[in-house]
Amino acid sequence: MKEETSNNSRRKFLKSFGISVGAAGVVSSFSLIGAAKAAAKKPAEMVNLLTQDGQLVQVDKNQLRPTVNEPLDELQKRGREGIPGKSFVMVIDLSKCRNARKCMSACQNHHQLRADQHHINVLQMQDAEHTAPYFMPKPCQHCDNPPCTKVCPVDATFKRQDGIVLIDNERCIGCRFCIAACPYSARIFQWTEPKDSEKYKDLTYNIEANVPQKKGTVSKCLFSADRLREDKLPSCVSACPNGVYYFGDRNEDAVTNGTTGETVRFSKLIEENAGYTLMEELGTKPRVYYLPPKNRAFEFNGDLLNEENLH
Amino acid sequence: MKNTIKNIAALFLIFVFSGSIANAQGWTVPNSAKKKQNPYEATSKNISSGKKIYNLHCKSCHGDPTMANMIPLAPVAPTDLGSQNFLVQSDGEIYYKVNKGQGAMPTFEKTISDEDKWMVITFLRSFDKNKKMKQQVAEVKNPEVTDVKFELNVNEADKTMLAKLSGVTKKGKRVGLQGIEMSFLVKRSFGYLDVSGEDPYTNESGDVQIQFPKDLPGDREGQVNMLVKVTDDAFYGKLEEKRVVTLGVPTDPVNPLDERAMWGTRANAPIWIIVTFVGGVLAIWSVIFLVLFQMIKLPKLAKNKD
Ligand code: SF4
Ligand code: SF4
Repeated sequence: MKEETSNNSRRKFLKSFGISVGAAGVVSSFSLIGAAKAAAKKPAEMVNLLTQDGQLVQVDKNQLRPTVNEPLDELQKRGREGIPGKSFVMVIDLSKCRNARKCMSACQNHHQLRADQHHINVLQMQDAEHTAPYFMPKPCQHCDNPPCTKVCPVDATFKRQDGIVLIDNERCIGCRFCIAACPYSARIFQWTEPKDSEKYKDLTYNIEANVPQKKGTVSKCLFSADRLREDKLPSCVSACPNGVYYFGDRNEDAVTNGTTGETVRFSKLIEENAGYTLMEELGTKPRVYYLPPKNRAFEFNGDLLNEENLH
Repeated sequence: MKNTIKNIAALFLIFVFSGSIANAQGWTVPNSAKKKQNPYEATSKNISSGKKIYNLHCKSCHGDPTMANMIPLAPVAPTDLGSQNFLVQSDGEIYYKVNKGQGAMPTFEKTISDEDKWMVITFLRSFDKNKKMKQQVAEVKNPEVTDVKFELNVNEADKTMLAKLSGVTKKGKRVGLQGIEMSFLVKRSFGYLDVSGEDPYTNESGDVQIQFPKDLPGDREGQVNMLVKVTDDAFYGKLEEKRVVTLGVPTDPVNPLDERAMWGTRANAPIWIIVTFVGGVLAIWSVIFLVLFQMIKLPKLAKNKD
């Protein structure tokens, strides 16, 4: 596997190198000043490059670097390990959800998904004939006993120490066993070329955002693991205008509301509002907790539902 | 006949339409609701707690009062709640609108308590140029002071914290400042957890004592990062202190990957799975080899029989 990745980056380097020699490379990430200095010291072979603003410049060939910010190996390694000492949890307050769907569009922007692909989906629920309908956002539950990772034949999907379940698209062979195993239908399969695949094709694969997406592999909610690394809340959590989401660290017993920024005790929030998890009878031990849709801030309005968005 | 129906339909449409236009422009509040009075006085305590709630629930859309820095939503941008145009409304009117919401403005009927809503209205009223004078209630007045600072004392045995806020008067005497709200905040991953409790206001001698929660997890040694500050910068400017205190419950984070589990990757698969699998493979191959071995022996056996 390692062999293959390093080959890959060598190939990429050669590719970008070739382009550069062809004077069509993008120079913004090379240090032009550094190149000029080096050239002053020891005249080496120079190449012509076209800058982003259309200027033709000469650069020392030795100064050329591929436009890769972080090497794939490093991203893969830290993505597999996770953030030590953390145990991430999400709390979704159903009494505040009015189907604004801002979480969904923020997620789709972040993870290169088309409008019909969902890492998180707001569902219209009705538990029984005479019970009240409500809206329920449903991301991956990041189960503590995940059935999905048990079935993967190639170790592509895994759980890390901070509790997040991720997929390694460099390994995934697209067998879709995990889709069948997940009781929450949290996973999607990339049947076609992903959205904007042309635009992102030179990006180094980041396992923590699953971008760029790859045709023939599986994708799902990642709790925005790349944002968590920068102490930022997941995309959906910060995008919600109605204060539905809380997100935080169970080890610290604190969750923060993405809308108000208010931090509260996780245990108190769950206890005082009778929080529950989805289908706990399956023993999957979800990390996403729900607060029941009682005392709702918004009337249920089925008209708000855009049928086309429901898949 | 057909025409009459058409006419009626058209009339009906016009009626519905004009109704919705009127609704979009104005926001009618029933007269009974307008008369509702704010039961809370405009003390600086109430105003500063109103500001806190405002910052939590209203600021993200409406911006800061009187600054007109609301977010530009279409078609109707949120109002600047500190503008005099807004504040001509009665307390009851504002209260009603906060409760009901309209369009992009959510309802706060159930999301914030009545008391908190009135506090916000008290805070907004403090920007009202017409009512300001009349609303000033006799309060404790702190003398004019310079060099304001606070001292922090941490008692690890009973998990309390004491802050003493003081300033130097014109006569050069250091005195405690009374009735000022302090915030005791614990740093968590994505924000600060407020542990100030119910009444974090300084007393006559400028002291405020809080009880740190007995069950709040800290790191391995029980350390937590504290941020203590005067809640409202409007009084004495920004006054804050960061400190690491050992008041939390020592917590060892469990790494779920330490245990072998079914859901683990190859590296931490349960021993019984590894044993069964390896055993199974070995058993199958030995049977195959056994059979092959016997088959090699067949010709020999045949020869022996002859
Ligand atoms: S919700 Fe589904 S995909 Fe997510 S961890 Fe659980 S089983 Fe796996
Ligand atoms: S689809 Fe990919 S991640 Fe899912 S089980 Fe198959 S190889 Fe593993």
